[in-house]
Amino acid sequence: MNFLTSHFMSDIFLGATNGVLYGLIALSLVIVWRATSILNFAQGAMAMFATYLGMTMTEHGLNFWLAFALAIVAGFAMGGVTERVLVRPLYKRPEINSIVVMVGFLGVLESAASAIWSSSPRVLVSPFSQNYFQHGNTTIDLSPFALFQIGAALAVMLGVGAIFQYTKIGLQLRASALAPEVARLLGVRVNRLLTFGWMLSSAAGVVAAVIITSSSSIFLTPSVMDGFFVFGFIAAAVGGLESPVGAIVSGLLIGLAQQFLLDYAPSGLSSFAPVVILVVALMIRPQGLFTTTKARRV
Amino acid sequence: MNPIATFKAQTPTTFRASASIVGTLLTLVAASWLLSPSTDNYLVLAAGATIAIMGLSILTGGSGQVSIGNAGFMAIGAFTTAIIGTHNAHFFIVGSLLAGTAAGAISGVIIGLPATRLRGPYLAGMTLAFAYVMQPFIQSFGSLTGGSGGLYLNELTTPHWFASLVGDSDNLIAANARYQSALAVLVAGIALFFASNVMSSRLGRAMRLVRDDEVAAELVGVNLAKTRVLAFVISAAFAGLAGSLLTLIAASASPSTYGLALSIELLSLLVLGGMGSIGGAIIAGLLSAYSGQLVGKINSLFGVDPYSNVGANTKGIIFGVILIVMMLAAPTGLVGLAKKVTARLRVVAARRSARSLSHG
Repeated sequence: MNFLTSHFMSDIFLGATNGVLYGLIALSLVIVWRATSILNFAQGAMAMFATYLGMTMTEHGLNFWLAFALAIVAGFAMGGVTERVLVRPLYKRPEINSIVVMVGFLGVLESAASAIWSSSPRVLVSPFSQNYFQHGNTTIDLSPFALFQIGAALAVMLGVGAIFQYTKIGLQLRASALAPEVARLLGVRVNRLLTFGWMLSSAAGVVAAVIITSSSSIFLTPSVMDGFFVFGFIAAAVGGLESPVGAIVSGLLIGLAQQFLLDYAPSGLSSFAPVVILVVALMIRPQGLFTTTKARRV
Repeated sequence: MNPIATFKAQTPTTFRASASIVGTLLTLVAASWLLSPSTDNYLVLAAGATIAIMGLSILTGGSGQVSIGNAGFMAIGAFTTAIIGTHNAHFFIVGSLLAGTAAGAISGVIIGLPATRLRGPYLAGMTLAFAYVMQPFIQSFGSLTGGSGGLYLNELTTPHWFASLVGDSDNLIAANARYQSALAVLVAGIALFFASNVMSSRLGRAMRLVRDDEVAAELVGVNLAKTRVLAFVISAAFAGLAGSLLTLIAASASPSTYGLALSIELLSLLVLGGMGSIGGAIIAGLLSAYSGQLVGKINSLFGVDPYSNVGANTKGIIFGVILIVMMLAAPTGLVGLAKKVTARLRVVAARRSARSLSHG
């Protein structure tokens, strides 16, 4: 029996595909957290809403890639508007206020999506085949579609990394997250950059939502992102909420852990596993597994 | 502005006890005279929601920890009672309520322990994860919990003395409804008495100190970890009791009732009523019970078909908007708003009398 087609490798492939998606959502949460110290509970719902907009475009005959691009544009816009309207009044308030407002926004978006598009599942068809690759007469649990998911997620991760590392706006973003007062004194338009941080995060979330829901096994529903958001949050929290690399790595680890638990653990345990992973990881290192010092590179 | 109401200094226990007893009795008498059996169902819903919101209020208003997972604790209480009820045809009401409360409290310890090390958004996210996994967790024990269909119990029927007391001996359906709502109001009264005791006890003061200033709390010898966990346990016990009570009276428990939407609804109602106050929890509970009717009125006001997509989701949209608007505009809730208005009126009245004095 070939190693690539073994049961173990099948778990690795399936787990890694999910894990990359969790990592992407976690990354998008980390961007917002670093910029504004707010955990965006509505992140999954915002991405879901933009995906519905894209899905509507494909129903009107638009091609998948154009609809995808439009959804990303909608994501940028939603992120910006959300920051300006909902989040800006929260900066000097106790953190309980921001939690409650973002949870409220989550509720509004999910109900609004059900009101507009109904809660019955919709289909977003991607141009990639979901038939598994064949190796001789056995199958490898990887499809062109899974490669598209992994590729798109990695592209966004690298893109975000490049923006933070190599562009002027990235440098300013890091500066205004680290020392907003000093950055402001040095002429950085901190408020604009915080808006940009939210736009970037929201758009990254939209990419995640589109590549998740264009799978033929996951339909688009108003609550489709709930579970992915929970896993993305867990990945971000385990990674330390501040660390983009930590978020991506722990996303991958959690995807793999979940897949192996699904396969080998009793069903009650595997459904409860995310909470257990989060609790255990945070008990061991409350500051996150990947946070070492105050100063960070990315 | 801090959204959490500051709690007044000590009110004596005798006052709290008599207030609870009088309040409960008044509600019961008013309900049995004013309401028809069909509206008694709303009283049950209001009682259940009040208990659950009071628990959340102790946690969030009292100790400053936000939970988006209290629907999960409600589910645990609900299914504990349902499992007991389906296995024993003749179960004690008090026993199964206490079992639901205890199950909620125990799960509160488990979920609360990490809370000693988690703050704000981390903690809220963890409770969200807990609420999210609760549904599949319950469903995965299908043989015990009935899977996604849930469990059904025997209806709670009135004893003869109660039926003759309310004068409905010949109409058992009405008598049952009255009995169920009386039980619910009684349980809510006891729970609120307990809540007011907790809030004004040493533990309640310790919780508020931990919420406002951890360093000061540690300096005066408050055990931070213990206080945080206890707040969680009490909150979860209230949620367990609420789930248990609603299950007992609805005679059914379904995992889909206790989803993320319910957690958000509880939080909205808490914010609307006002955190950390008993009056706020009662207002919020009543609003919860009558929210269906209110939303129906709003739907018909705007000419929305209640069975259309829009009409079916008006409630969710309104609850979410309430959360956002209240938090941005009036973070102390209706109770805080009322306090602010009365304080303002008092100032105006004082000025007026001062002016009339100086002119007189």
